[in-house]
Amino acid sequence: MERRDFLKISAATGAVAALEGCGNPDHQLIRFVPEEDMLPGLATWKPSICTLCPAGCGMLVRVMQGEAEVVRNGQLGILKMGLPKKLEGNPAHPISHGRLCPRGQAGLQVTYHPDRIKTPLARSGPRGSGQFQEITWDEAMKQLLSHLTALQTSNEQGKIGFLTSPLRGQRKTIVHGFAAALKAAPPIEFAFLASRTIQEANAWSFGSDALPTVDLSHSNYLISFGADFLGTWNSPVAQSVGYGHMRNGRTGQPGKFVQVESRISQTGASADEWIPSQPGMDGVFALSLAHVILSEKLGTAGAAGHAGALIAGWSEGLPDYAPAAVEKQIGVPAATISRIAREAAANAPAVALIGDGPAAHTNGFFNALAVNALNAVLGSVGKPGGIVFSPVWTSQSGKPGAAEGKKDGESSVRTLAEQIHATPDSVKVLLVDGANPVFATPMAWRVREAFEKVPFIASFGSFIDETTVLADLILPDHSPLESWLDDSPESGSTKTVASLAPPAMQPLHNTRSMPDVLLDLAHQLGGPVAAALPWKTYDDALKIAFSSLQKQKGSVSATDADDFWTKVKDQGGWWSAEDKSVSLAAGKIPAAAVKNTAPQFDGSPDQFPFHFLPFASQLCYDGSLAHLPWMQESPDPLSTVMWGTWVEMNPRTAEKLAIKQGDTIEVASQHGSLRAPALIAPGIAPDVIAMPIGQGHTNFTRYASGRGANPISILAPMVESGTGSLAWAATRVKISHISEGKIVMFGASLTDASPELKHR
Amino acid sequence: MSRSNLGLKRCLRVTVFLGMIILVLSLLDRTSPAQDTAPPPQTMTQSSPIFTPAHRTVMDAVREFFGSRQKPVQPIAYTHKVHLANGMQCTDCHVGVDRGPDARIPSVNFCMTCHQVIATDKPEIKKLAAYRARGEDIPWQRVYGFLPSAHVKFNHAPHIRAGVDCAQCHGDMTKQTVAVRMVDHTMGFCVQCHREKNVSVDCVACHY
Repeated sequence: MERRDFLKISAATGAVAALEGCGNPDHQLIRFVPEEDMLPGLATWKPSICTLCPAGCGMLVRVMQGEAEVVRNGQLGILKMGLPKKLEGNPAHPISHGRLCPRGQAGLQVTYHPDRIKTPLARSGPRGSGQFQEITWDEAMKQLLSHLTALQTSNEQGKIGFLTSPLRGQRKTIVHGFAAALKAAPPIEFAFLASRTIQEANAWSFGSDALPTVDLSHSNYLISFGADFLGTWNSPVAQSVGYGHMRNGRTGQPGKFVQVESRISQTGASADEWIPSQPGMDGVFALSLAHVILSEKLGTAGAAGHAGALIAGWSEGLPDYAPAAVEKQIGVPAATISRIAREAAANAPAVALIGDGPAAHTNGFFNALAVNALNAVLGSVGKPGGIVFSPVWTSQSGKPGAAEGKKDGESSVRTLAEQIHATPDSVKVLLVDGANPVFATPMAWRVREAFEKVPFIASFGSFIDETTVLADLILPDHSPLESWLDDSPESGSTKTVASLAPPAMQPLHNTRSMPDVLLDLAHQLGGPVAAALPWKTYDDALKIAFSSLQKQKGSVSATDADDFWTKVKDQGGWWSAEDKSVSLAAGKIPAAAVKNTAPQFDGSPDQFPFHFLPFASQLCYDGSLAHLPWMQESPDPLSTVMWGTWVEMNPRTAEKLAIKQGDTIEVASQHGSLRAPALIAPGIAPDVIAMPIGQGHTNFTRYASGRGANPISILAPMVESGTGSLAWAATRVKISHISEGKIVMFGASLTDASPELKHR
Repeated sequence: MSRSNLGLKRCLRVTVFLGMIILVLSLLDRTSPAQDTAPPPQTMTQSSPIFTPAHRTVMDAVREFFGSRQKPVQPIAYTHKVHLANGMQCTDCHVGVDRGPDARIPSVNFCMTCHQVIATDKPEIKKLAAYRARGEDIPWQRVYGFLPSAHVKFNHAPHIRAGVDCAQCHGDMTKQTVAVRMVDHTMGFCVQCHREKNVSVDCVACHY
């Protein structure tokens, strides 16, 4: 046999073997009768809302007819249906302006994820074992109802807890209305990156308990204290669009951008000037800038109004904050401070931002108040090119009150855990929707141990994660693309925005929309609960709520109520015709003017020589998106690391400790330790080490489980002194060299990263 | 041994080897129809969630390689002739052919809008009603269509708009009962018509 023949034959046999290995039995399946009539091959674009972060971007979903393998009435078959193929920004939407970030684009994978919970589940093994058995919706509802009615009859409704991710719009109305009518404990809204401290500071300075909308498109000068506003902070898509305008979108000089932080972020990498500073000293830096402005008569103390008057020593021109006096503390030369102050004053409108790390110190509240005062003296509050506060739509289906006001920080979960540890009987039923505090809180809070003491936990989760795995009953929610959605974002646009989206597709699996499940429960409970939630379905509630907008001047003009409803659905929501910002009332008046307190850190500097700075991942965000393979597979924009985690350190630090690129190191705080590969990069202060949040899941689908390490777990339970929020940048750590290795993945694939996945 | 003898021997060896492979393959192929009738549910749920261009069986792959296609066997002996004779138009059922790339194949619900009352005693209509009663759609088999390896894209709408008659590519359906391939859609067939009508014969007009 000649070599050529041999090659031909072995190629043929090889190909045959390969083909046999991956047969697809789809045309053996029965076909279900399609429920919708679509033209094959033609795409339609349907409006939707991104729910993956609190920004609330409006999206368009490209839907085409396709065939999906689905289970209907217990039988597997093929259903011809409209299937979303691509997500893009909605050009008409005032927040996304037709753009969408990579995390939003990956939202498609939430719907098609192979590890989605496809049907209601009841726990069949020990708690936390992940053993569940499939049950019907009737059984699931009966189980949950029996637990609720049992507490009703024993008059212990107060022992029903409700834990959700941050809620807005009618979803909030229904959840809070349900809890209030049931006389349950008020729902707790948990997110790790909640920015509670900044909202609280804005309430004090400006009387608006919200994150600001930044009008970057008109700014000439921008100082950002740690805010990753182009990546993850606040409303990144709206801010990126505005930043694009500030730099390229208008004639004349592009605005200048200065970023102050102790580890270079993706946003910081875009800055004209990047100023490294000492952790926790951002407030002092801001007041030092204000000192220069006041002392050089570039602005007046009185112009800052209430926001300035809050700060101790403001009216005297901040004598304690002269650049020469504070340069050592901040770690920035006095000349630089003076120059930045003069530049900012000369280039009006100038604006300052604070976000992420600087607000997550024990003095984060002071830092935020100081930046607010700086904004006020720069005259950029409520003005074009500055920060404004968006008027938020708060119609609540004619049921005002339920959804007003209360906003939770991370601290609310700590309180809940403490309460359960103190009196284990205090929570008998816990309902969980979307929040994963077992992953996203420090081990020191002992949230997992607390939840294990709760007799009955029901989850509305779509995935098994560290919190849902503890549930006794899982009633899976639709994916966002399968649900009715509404949203009223608090920032990102100067218009009042009320987003609305009908389902972009039929549900793939045996799931139910969470608000509909609550409404159904309310009807079955009867009495005052049913009376408080009179709507039959979630979309009924939405229709009634949105009808109140018809008379207002906005993006939709319609002849009658039905016409209005149709147009709002087609457009993806309603937004006001005019740009408007809420008129600022004077905020809270404190007993005494606020003074700086030095930031406190957990761990002594001798024993734990490094500041530990977790930061939100560009891709996995706060960890809630680590289950999306596109997000795992995308290289981090700065480090190019994928499918894993890393610890960033300065080359000088690495040299001192004899650590090389990719070596495994151990990071230990007083509260725990973790191991991860070292990434040596110059954009970080020598006494700071930084780590992305997002990986380190123990139980979160096949793509995220057992991958990397979770920096949140080793954080000290330090709290911000003014607001009680978790001070997640206030932990000190030590590091030790464990082994040489090449665990950091620079442009590697899934199979390289985790050999075990090859065998699935 | 002479050189020609050597060549013959080699040829024989290769033939025997290939023959064995094809024998094994056809045996493998024969095992799959049993699955068609009673598919075990476990194997179905384990079907790969990842897209694969692979074939169901090896023989499918071999058939595609040689360009031979099985005759579609339709679940219901639908007759085009009778429907067209009763005054229906192609586009009554194949909606969207003038608007999009593909024509719609109607679902069982669409058929039943008429057959709720018309010819309900005929055996084929009873089959139709039985599908609907079970909540199943009719698993029509594909008659026309290009092999993926041809990398050709076809869009109905511009052809219909240009006044190309359905029959030009699909034959005279008024004489057909169950649809069969009457016209072979080879590249020569497409190009000839494109030349006659003086439209683009550029490669990327169809292969993109």
